[in-house]
Amino acid sequence: MKRKHRVLSSIFRFFLVVFLIAGVFGLVYLRSNYLKLEYCLGDLEKKRISALRERKMLIAEKTSLLSFAKLETPQAGADGFVLPDRIKVIHIDKQKKYMPYKASLERRQLSEP
Amino acid sequence: MNKKRAVILNTVVIFSFFLVSLRLVDLMVVNHKRFYDSAQKQYIKVEDIQVRRGIIVDRRGRELALNLDLDSIYADPKHLDREGNDVKRLASAIAREPKAVLAKIPDKGRFIWVERKLDPETAEKIRALKIEGLGFLPEAKRFYPKADLASHILGFVGIDNQALEGIELKFDKYLKTSGGKVTVERDAGGRTLSPGVNTEVKGNNIVLTIDEALQRIVEKELDKAMAHWKAAAASVIMMDPLTGEILALANRPAYDPNRGGSAAASAKRDRAITDLYEPGSTFKIVIGVASLEEKILRPNTLFDVSRGSIEVGGKNIRDAHKHGVLTFKEVIQKSSNVGSIMIGMKLGKDRVYKYAKLLGIGEKTGIDLPGEVTGWIPRPERWSSTSVGAIPIGQEVAVTPLQMLRAYSAIANGGSLVSPHVVSEIISPRGEVVASFKNKDMNRIISAKTAETFKDILKSVVEEGGTGTSASVDGNAVAGKTGTAQIIDPRTKRYSKEKYVSSFVGFVPADSPRIAMIVVVYEPKGQIYGGAVAAPVFRDIAGQALSYLNIPREDSLREEPYLVLK
Repeated sequence: MKRKHRVLSSIFRFFLVVFLIAGVFGLVYLRSNYLKLEYCLGDLEKKRISALRERKMLIAEKTSLLSFAKLETPQAGADGFVLPDRIKVIHIDKQKKYMPYKASLERRQLSEP
Repeated sequence: MNKKRAVILNTVVIFSFFLVSLRLVDLMVVNHKRFYDSAQKQYIKVEDIQVRRGIIVDRRGRELALNLDLDSIYADPKHLDREGNDVKRLASAIAREPKAVLAKIPDKGRFIWVERKLDPETAEKIRALKIEGLGFLPEAKRFYPKADLASHILGFVGIDNQALEGIELKFDKYLKTSGGKVTVERDAGGRTLSPGVNTEVKGNNIVLTIDEALQRIVEKELDKAMAHWKAAAASVIMMDPLTGEILALANRPAYDPNRGGSAAASAKRDRAITDLYEPGSTFKIVIGVASLEEKILRPNTLFDVSRGSIEVGGKNIRDAHKHGVLTFKEVIQKSSNVGSIMIGMKLGKDRVYKYAKLLGIGEKTGIDLPGEVTGWIPRPERWSSTSVGAIPIGQEVAVTPLQMLRAYSAIANGGSLVSPHVVSEIISPRGEVVASFKNKDMNRIISAKTAETFKDILKSVVEEGGTGTSASVDGNAVAGKTGTAQIIDPRTKRYSKEKYVSSFVGFVPADSPRIAMIVVVYEPKGQIYGGAVAAPVFRDIAGQALSYLNIPREDSLREEPYLVLK
């Protein structure tokens, strides 16, 4: 009985030491992984800032290219800024909003250009 | 022997532990603060939170002012090799003389800006040089993507993003925001860990009442007019006469706000609100409205102006063209100075002054742009003997183009004075409305009947026989008034015979106005009359603006009920 108790105690001590050592190494491993993730996040953060920076540049470039001044240039060709033809603009009475409407240019009594 | 060895070993071990303990006490207690601070400096970096001004957009959300993130380079004089090749290579990359670069960098100190807000290509080129003692810091640069479009409205900022002009200045407290600091951990290699918080804060965004397309139409036609009339300057303001929303505002000369600092002072002047001019015949709105509101005249009251001139206070004032007997309506339609002076005399100086003030002449309009001036009209007690012959025809008074436009807008909207404004809303970065200026107060100043009657008179100005026929727009009736005024020569202190201000102010469609507009051309060459110089500009702008706004022609189709066939 006494011998059995001694063996169990030795095994328990052995596992305690192993557990302690494993615990310490586990902590170090977790800490290093945590730091690795932090670095990873830091790098991603940098990438995000860089992407945002590029996005800002592209938006600015797009806005500049889409300005009406540029749309009117000859390079824009026929797809540039074209004003609506007012001959084809019709009055719509907003009061009668639940009624369907029709409008026919054929009935116009104008000399269209 | 073994025991002796054991004692020695024990002593050595204990002594070693004692030494280690001593060192630990030194590190953790005695010199704790010094080492702690030193370590903090190594792995904690305090960075400024990047502050970005809010963006400015037009009424349809098109961006007019944005921010770019650009690199600025600084030098650490302690580590920069001033004698070697580095400065030459740097100078070549930024296209400057090495001497000029060296002049910027002192011998002492640890930080000095070398070049601010470089374009990305140049920054990359310099980064590739790997010069020791040079560093890069990101900075926000205000960018106006539409270049000189609406420059007098937007204004600009300085190198440190400090507001200097326009909306940037007037709404600076909304656009800018405070930043603060953020701490970032880094290792010995300089690699940083994620700060875990946002490193950028933004100010509120501003929505303008301006429409980029209308602004472009206005500026394009203004450029054409400047070139055609070889004018010294010009201004156009387009406004919604019912709400006071400014749809477009442009002046010439103009400037590119991206290079605002280097622009000439005359180009930066927002003449539409900061320059005073004598309005000439456009001022006849005052005597017209006053005589109708006071029921002194009716549109068909007759005036004999057949002499073609009238003497007031020893000064002879003539009509540009001789007329016979004119009705009150024709006096305005043909812009007879003699007839207008007769009306002014009938009204008397007190009533002329009262109605001028009621129409906002000589008063700030309160527009939300910096630098607006008051204008000037003398009090009745200060009128000279010639004033009654000068003020009714728009001399001896000084107005801004915006004041005149507001007065005519009161006719367009049925008798109320609007509050002109260029900012519609202020929106927080989260999208919440911080302030809205959409429903500004309107102040009734004259009866709807007077406004309606005077509107008919103004319509006749643009019809056959009027002075403003060149302002007529195909498909819609225009109401307006021409103005031609001499400019006082600063050398002689008398009216110049060569320099004039030509103007046209009106609204369209006359019966349900959508746009009110004033065109003022300073010192045109070749022609001087408002009807010849400014009215065609009004026509060209209004025609395109009506198309853009999809405003139907008066003769266009009206909707019809849909016929359902069974």
